Amino acid sequence: MGLESRIPAGPLAEKWDRHLFELKLVNPANKRKFDIIVVGTGLAGAAASASMAELGYNVKTFCIQDSPRRAHSIAAQGGINAAKNYSNDGDSIWRLFYDTIKGGDYRAREANVYRLAQVSNLIIDHCVAQGVPFARDYGGLLSNRSFGGAQVSRTFYARGQTGQQLLLGAYSSLSRQAAAGKVRLYARRDMLDLVVVDGQARGIVVRNLVNGDIETYAADAVVLATGGYGNVFYLSTNAMACNVTACFQAYKKGAFFANPCFTQIHPTCIPVHGDYQSKLTLMSESLRNDGRVWVPQTPGDKRAPGQIPEAGRDYFLENKYPSFGNLVPRDVASRNAKEQCDQGKGVGETGLAVYLDFADAIQRDGREVISQKYGNLFEMYAKITGQDPYETPMMIYPAVHYTMGGLWVDYNLMSTIPGLFVTGEANFSDHGANRLGASALMQGLADGYFIIPYTIGGYLTGGGYKKITTDHPEFKAAAGAVASRIQRLLAVKGKRTADDFHRSLGKIMWEYCGMARNNAGLLNAREKIAALRSEFWDNLLVPSTGAQFNQSLEKAGRVADFLEFGELMIIDALARQESCGGHFNEAFQTEENEARRDDENFTHVAAWEFAGEGQAPVFHKEPLVFENVKLSQRSYK
Amino acid sequence: MTTAKTIHLTLKVVRQTGPDQKSNLETYAARNVSTDMSFLEMLDVVNEDLTLAGQDPIAFDHDCREGICGMCGAVVNGRPHGPQEGTTLCQLHMRHFEDGDEVVIEPWRSRAFKVIKDLVVDRGAFDQIIQAGGYISINTGGAPDANSLPVPKEMADQAMDAAACIGCGACVAACPNASAMLFTGAKISQLALLPQGRPEAKRRAAAMVAAMDKLGFGNCTNERECEAVCPKNISIVHIARMNREFLKAGFF
Amino acid sequence: MNWLINVVRSSIGKKLCMALTGMCFCGFLIAHLAGNLTIYGGKDAFNAYAQRLHSLGALLTLAEIGLLTFALIHISVGAILFYGNLTARPQRYEMKKNTGGRSLGSATMPYTGFLLLLFIVFHLMNFHFVDKTRQSIFEIVSAAFQQPLYVVLYVTAMLVAAVHVSHGFWSAFQTLGLNHPKYMPLIRLAGLVFSLVVGAGFGFLPIYISRMT
Ligand SMILES: Cc1cc2nc3c(=O)[nH]c(=O)nc-3n(C[C@H](O)[C@H](O)[C@H](O)COP(=O)(O)OP(=O)(O)OC[C@H]3O[C@@H](n4cnc5c(N)ncnc54)[C@H](O)[C@@H]3O)c2cc1C
Ligand code: FES
Repeated sequence: MGLESRIPAGPLAEKWDRHLFELKLVNPANKRKFDIIVVGTGLAGAAASASMAELGYNVKTFCIQDSPRRAHSIAAQGGINAAKNYSNDGDSIWRLFYDTIKGGDYRAREANVYRLAQVSNLIIDHCVAQGVPFARDYGGLLSNRSFGGAQVSRTFYARGQTGQQLLLGAYSSLSRQAAAGKVRLYARRDMLDLVVVDGQARGIVVRNLVNGDIETYAADAVVLATGGYGNVFYLSTNAMACNVTACFQAYKKGAFFANPCFTQIHPTCIPVHGDYQSKLTLMSESLRNDGRVWVPQTPGDKRAPGQIPEAGRDYFLENKYPSFGNLVPRDVASRNAKEQCDQGKGVGETGLAVYLDFADAIQRDGREVISQKYGNLFEMYAKITGQDPYETPMMIYPAVHYTMGGLWVDYNLMSTIPGLFVTGEANFSDHGANRLGASALMQGLADGYFIIPYTIGGYLTGGGYKKITTDHPEFKAAAGAVASRIQRLLAVKGKRTADDFHRSLGKIMWEYCGMARNNAGLLNAREKIAALRSEFWDNLLVPSTGAQFNQSLEKAGRVADFLEFGELMIIDALARQESCGGHFNEAFQTEENEARRDDENFTHVAAWEFAGEGQAPVFHKEPLVFENVKLSQRSYK
Repeated sequence: MTTAKTIHLTLKVVRQTGPDQKSNLETYAARNVSTDMSFLEMLDVVNEDLTLAGQDPIAFDHDCREGICGMCGAVVNGRPHGPQEGTTLCQLHMRHFEDGDEVVIEPWRSRAFKVIKDLVVDRGAFDQIIQAGGYISINTGGAPDANSLPVPKEMADQAMDAAACIGCGACVAACPNASAMLFTGAKISQLALLPQGRPEAKRRAAAMVAAMDKLGFGNCTNERECEAVCPKNISIVHIARMNREFLKAGFF
Repeated sequence: MNWLINVVRSSIGKKLCMALTGMCFCGFLIAHLAGNLTIYGGKDAFNAYAQRLHSLGALLTLAEIGLLTFALIHISVGAILFYGNLTARPQRYEMKKNTGGRSLGSATMPYTGFLLLLFIVFHLMNFHFVDKTRQSIFEIVSAAFQQPLYVVLYVTAMLVAAVHVSHGFWSAFQTLGLNHPKYMPLIRLAGLVFSLVVGAGFGFLPIYISRMT
């Protein structure tokens, strides 16, 4: 199977318009004859469900949580980008496009990213019309802030709860369609398999999390909007239910997985404080605008921060990057913090933290000003750590935050399985090897509101398939396979819980496939994962039965998939013998310790095809062609 | 706030195996609880022990563990989300407990929220209230430019205050009457404050209140327990605005 | 008229009934208290007030019918709400604490309401549905309050009334949607003052009367 990206011909700025025109339309009266399954109710899934239902399709929408409103998108804090140029600082569609391509270290498709920048403005219009209470200036117009190193102010925000407000907007549209009978909502369902009939995605198998029933649903097309897989690291800023299961099962049914090793580590998170720790909390990136990052000069200096005189402090970002200082991009800041801790200069009980100090800012601007800017973040920090950041420096450490990799999709957001579409963080997306702040929300909503509603029509008019129901043998077979897998998990009756295995996997992934990677470590990790996986199937303990509400069983299924998927990440990381964005292979760095790309050999998307249980996946390459931007080396000195 | 590093607690947890089963209060020892743990992490550890001992772990809902998804929640020592003001259960840390404390943990109780298992309840009624009208009726595409309609800053801020609701259900759990007026009022109020939401403000208020009434929630008697426990500090001012909108819808 | 039935049958509609009738009772209490204060002017002043009141004739009857109607509404809707709220939580908590919202008044509304109902029936039987042709109203009243039990009963009832209105007063504003962050503290204060006035104003009367003769 080849990789056909279906990027339309023509000048960059005209591709999408032209494509829209060329896509065949579904007659309005015919739309109601089509059933579409959407898995996921985050920004990408909720927006897609609502918009497609508005067009007249019959949509069935699934999510794990008890309500669509609780998808992980709810947790996004900072904001959403758009090229409105309301701040009159020279922003444009082109600049947003360029920033995103460059930020992604030239590992994303030009055409997709340009389209993203184009529809970004429509998103803001639509969200405002939905009643999203974005921040406003005294004149009543929308207010913007700068974010994530961009030199223009293009980020729209709703306090520190932008994701929540955008998701509640999408959820309200979804609810409206549910009331109109165009969307049927299935909450507390876990998608465990994809059903493919005659080479086309035709349905899903889910477990009803309330009573344990295995249910099947059929449709004419399936949209996966199941989010990212950051939890393969066990500890991440992702919500607890974030998983790779839906995408991984689709991969096993023939969808290619693209760039799985591209993960983003966020520099400003609250450090790990114990073995029992279940997740990490992000502190907004904006803190680096005023906070100064430092560690003690001498390794092992255990004095309290206040006791360490100025001369005993190493402001390592300011020293190393005089022009960007504390504001270097996420990946650079993260790697440097790790480097300091590796040298034994880390602070806190675990030695895995660096200080983010506001003392100078408070002295300069006064406590009042700092509290106005960051009051809620300081409060959150104090709530979690019990320490007051006004008095003592914050401690921060990088944490896994976002996954750029995902299922491979063409320009229409369709995977290599016809009829299987993938939106939001679940696809390998527009962010290349590194995502810029405030652009995941933009991408999720772009996919959901403004791309898939059109491209799916183009697929459906293609026809060539017959109506089927869940009585089809493929559905029976898939449901049977799911049921027997559940039985297998329950039958091990060993001595370790799924959480325990997950924690071990996370340690391996973080150690060897985290912020910095090297070939020996990756090879080592591959073996360790294989060993852990076999122990899992020998020694797993899942209490109770499958025919009821059983959170341990849900968890075990997810961990089983992570254990296989982790290996795929390692394989991908090994195959990419360069450094780029979030993927930093220590063998490939510039003299300044920056990621050194190998554009000649690796300007491509790596897409992996499942080759059967126990077989090495098959590598496919989608070359990336840059006609509009010039590839250059990033430097922040 | 305790300064001890670890504490020992006695948990009394309401357990219920399934929706129509009887519930009973079980006692568990939570030993060596680090005071840096969150409440849910403490439950994780207890659950790990229960599982290894061959017992069914305590079921509880959770997801973001950052206080924003609204998934978590239990009544802890008689108070929804526990003793700390403006804090969800997942953000409550064990340093707010003392060594030797007895901690009673119960699910939200309301006719409209059926218990699914242990501390997990079905809050589907909230979705139904929103489906009745908690939206602005516009389709994707065709929205005017976002800045074409100015919204006074204080209006936007007040709307945001109401919109901060995470739909956790603590208001219902705390209300002596198990009423859902704070939840419903917050949404009606948010949309009534914004010019975009005005055109259907009346219809919305009437429809959402009707849905709320049908779902088996009790009636507000202005006890103000809801705003006292709301982890997002949503004020009953929004209930008053809902009342206003509803009465306007009814009489004019 | 369908719309009116719909509004009244809704939860907020029921609250509206309670609020409006409750506010009318507050008005009535003020008027009643103002009238009763004439007792401080002595026997003749009080009797004169009673006479003037009764000379209103049909108007008075109308007001009485109005008050009765309001009472029936307030009582029956209150009872419906009480029952509805009782069933809204079929399973009680093992442990439930108040978090600071609830007040003595709000927590006891249905009970104080019920006690007041009993009291009002008793009060009307004593002072309203009595033969006033042979005795002046003042004589009836002062005779009654010669019995300490009556005094205690009346003072207690007035305290109960004070507790009831301490919540009812501001609550009515909230229900009508008249809540503004700027004015609500004032309204709540007014409610408190009102309940004190009612409690003290009415409560002292029996004591005063019992000491008059
Ligand atoms: C703490 C934090 C802060 C962030 N802040 C920002 C920010 O400021 N700006 C920005 O642009 N981005 C931000 N991001 C990134 C952004 O929030 C996410 O990338 C984005 O919300 C993903 O949306 P989604 O719709 O693709 O998936 P999600 O919101 O993750 O939704 C996934 C959905 O799929 C469902 N699902 C998953 N698996 C299954 C299954 N097997 N069966 C059934 N259903 C399933 C889930 O129930 C859920 O409904 C942040 C991320 C984090 C973690
Ligand atoms: S788990 Fe999301 S609010 Fe507590």
